[in-house]
Amino acid sequence: MQNTNEAIITTHNLHKHYVMGAETVRALNGVDVEIRRNEYVAIMGPSGSGKSTLMNLIGCLDSPTEGEYVLNGQEVQVLDDDELARIRNREIGFVFQTFNLLPRATALHNVELPLIYAGVRSKERQRRASAALERVALGDRMDHKPNELSGGQRQRVAIARALVNDPSIVLADEPTGNLDSSTSEEIMDVFESLHAAGQTIIMVTHEFDIASHAQRVITLVDGKIASHNAEIPTFVGAAGHDFHIP
Amino acid sequence: MRMWEGIRLALQQIWAQKLKSFFSLVGVIIGITFLIAVITIVEGMNTYVREDFAGSLFGVNTFTVVRRAQIQTGRVDQAERRRQARNPDLLLRDVDVVVDAAPNALHVAYSADRSFGEARYGSNSRRNVRVIGGSPEYQLVQGWKIEDGRGLTPIDEQRGLKVAVIGSQIAERLFPTTSPIDNRVRVGGQRFRVIGVFEKQGGFIGNVRDASILIPFSTFNATLSRRRNGVDEISVKVEVEDLMEPTMAVVEGALRRNRGLRPTEENDFHLQTSNDLLSAWNTINTILLAAIPGLVSVSLVVGGIVIMNIMLLSVSDRTREIGLRKSLGAKRRDILFQFLTEASTLSMVGSLIGIAVGLGLADLVDRLSPLPATISVPWLVLAIVMGMGVGVTSGIYPAYRASKLDPIEALRSE
Ligand SMILES: Nc1ncnc2c1ncn2[C@@H]1O[C@H](COP(=O)(O)OP(=O)(O)OP(=O)(O)O)[C@@H](O)[C@H]1O
Ligand SMILES: [Mg+2]
Repeated sequence: MQNTNEAIITTHNLHKHYVMGAETVRALNGVDVEIRRNEYVAIMGPSGSGKSTLMNLIGCLDSPTEGEYVLNGQEVQVLDDDELARIRNREIGFVFQTFNLLPRATALHNVELPLIYAGVRSKERQRRASAALERVALGDRMDHKPNELSGGQRQRVAIARALVNDPSIVLADEPTGNLDSSTSEEIMDVFESLHAAGQTIIMVTHEFDIASHAQRVITLVDGKIASHNAEIPTFVGAAGHDFHIP
Repeated sequence: MRMWEGIRLALQQIWAQKLKSFFSLVGVIIGITFLIAVITIVEGMNTYVREDFAGSLFGVNTFTVVRRAQIQTGRVDQAERRRQARNPDLLLRDVDVVVDAAPNALHVAYSADRSFGEARYGSNSRRNVRVIGGSPEYQLVQGWKIEDGRGLTPIDEQRGLKVAVIGSQIAERLFPTTSPIDNRVRVGGQRFRVIGVFEKQGGFIGNVRDASILIPFSTFNATLSRRRNGVDEISVKVEVEDLMEPTMAVVEGALRRNRGLRPTEENDFHLQTSNDLLSAWNTINTILLAAIPGLVSVSLVVGGIVIMNIMLLSVSDRTREIGLRKSLGAKRRDILFQFLTEASTLSMVGSLIGIAVGLGLADLVDRLSPLPATISVPWLVLAIVMGMGVGVTSGIYPAYRASKLDPIEALRSE
């Protein structure tokens, strides 16, 4: 295993502004975060605080208005479109709240997608995609279409898809937002086993008991970091509680 | 590899929405169907007319004296037509004039013919037959070969025997199980003993030979003819091509003299060669071949516009999918390629359907009409290339739009 103290993500003074007519929305307003290899981090914060915006920047889906971002020793802002696509393909695994599976494709084919863009040959692709599905305990559902799977199973397919190209980080934006609490726990178990296997994970959530699975909780308020290592109030047990600034 | 992926995806898409895909492909299907159907027929006729028809119908190194031109070439002159309509009928004595004028001719044959509604044998019948009363040389000049039995002989002619050599279609219809030889077919209220069957010709000329009944001219003249001693054609076959023109000239001169035409008067008969037919055909051919690309292009352009719209719709329907693919590492050119592949696959499917339907139509025409239908590979390749071309062209703009989508906005769309 690699040096766990090595920073895999470093951002400095990250800004993302949206100009809406006369008004400027400062979705991110100077964010400095550092995430080390094999960390399991939760990001919390009120709605509109910039969590998704930050995830999109970390995931190289979007570029900052200002500031620097170093991923795995690589300055991201100097990269062109194709290089960003390559990074999304090789270094990042996205897990979305709404699963985002191709409805007409089988689980196996959905998981193969990133490998297609990595230029992996068909045989090898199938081998790796089925291995990824085995990892999320869906080895027996490979030929199922998304509408033949439960919500939890769909999200596990999405996780397998995020894992299949062996990324440096898995980014999950409210991965349990569309799932009930017992299914959410099932997904958390999957994340925990990934983490145990050395995976770096960043997860956005509104729920304390989901966040409690992470090693560290970063809180965002109004586009700024409020805490790099927030305490989770353990007395709030029920799922679905929104985050409140203490 | 990624191309197969794209094609597979496109086929899935098409299959998932069969009806919509079909309607979106109608333009391309019609264009290609039309192209293939017309080309097969034109090409078939072309091959046929050039290689078989002219020679078979008129015989090689053969010219024919007829009352009036059967095939008009160039501008159709109404006055000329009316004038020819007043030409006198050809009669047996014109044959003598021709024979005397062309002693060097290989054969001089003459014939008269008449169509009948049906020919019967017992309860079997064949509709629309042509009975030809031909001199014994007729088969030689026409190059009709005997498959079974024998052909007409001078004796049959001299004695005016009621014997017949029948075409293969008639033989098949009237005598499906038995041999026709020595049985009597009934046509025009007369019975003729079958003495032979012609070799099957098939194709365009099939209707000329395969559905014909040849009887001695004298017999025809005595029984079925509408005009006593009337002759429809006098065919002269010469040994070599070089003899054609001089022989035609002496025959023309002899007929004019016989009819007492003054030098200022036009011929009141017509000399026809296979060249007449070929030049008539060339005119039709040129017009068809000039018109086809225009007609096909119009439907392909329409088809292309429809495909472009369908693709634009597909791009906006699948914005989220595009966003997802980009988030998973698809580059701009991957998306561009995906939608281009999809558009080309779509129109390729259209052109394949068009080819199939076009060939089907051509085959139908081939069976139901005397027109033959053949197609050469280059035209099929052209049809496929045109289909591809339409797909790629109409796919460029939608694919470009798709490739330019912002991944986050695309992912956020409903
Ligand atoms: N494309 C955009 N154009 C304009 N404003 C935007 C855009 N994207 C995000 N914003 C604004 O930026 C701010 C942060 O949005 P973001 O989606 O990051 O919040 P969030 O923390 O993920 O919220 P939630 O918990 O509701 O998902 C919000 O005020 C939002 O309205
Ligand atoms: Mg969000």
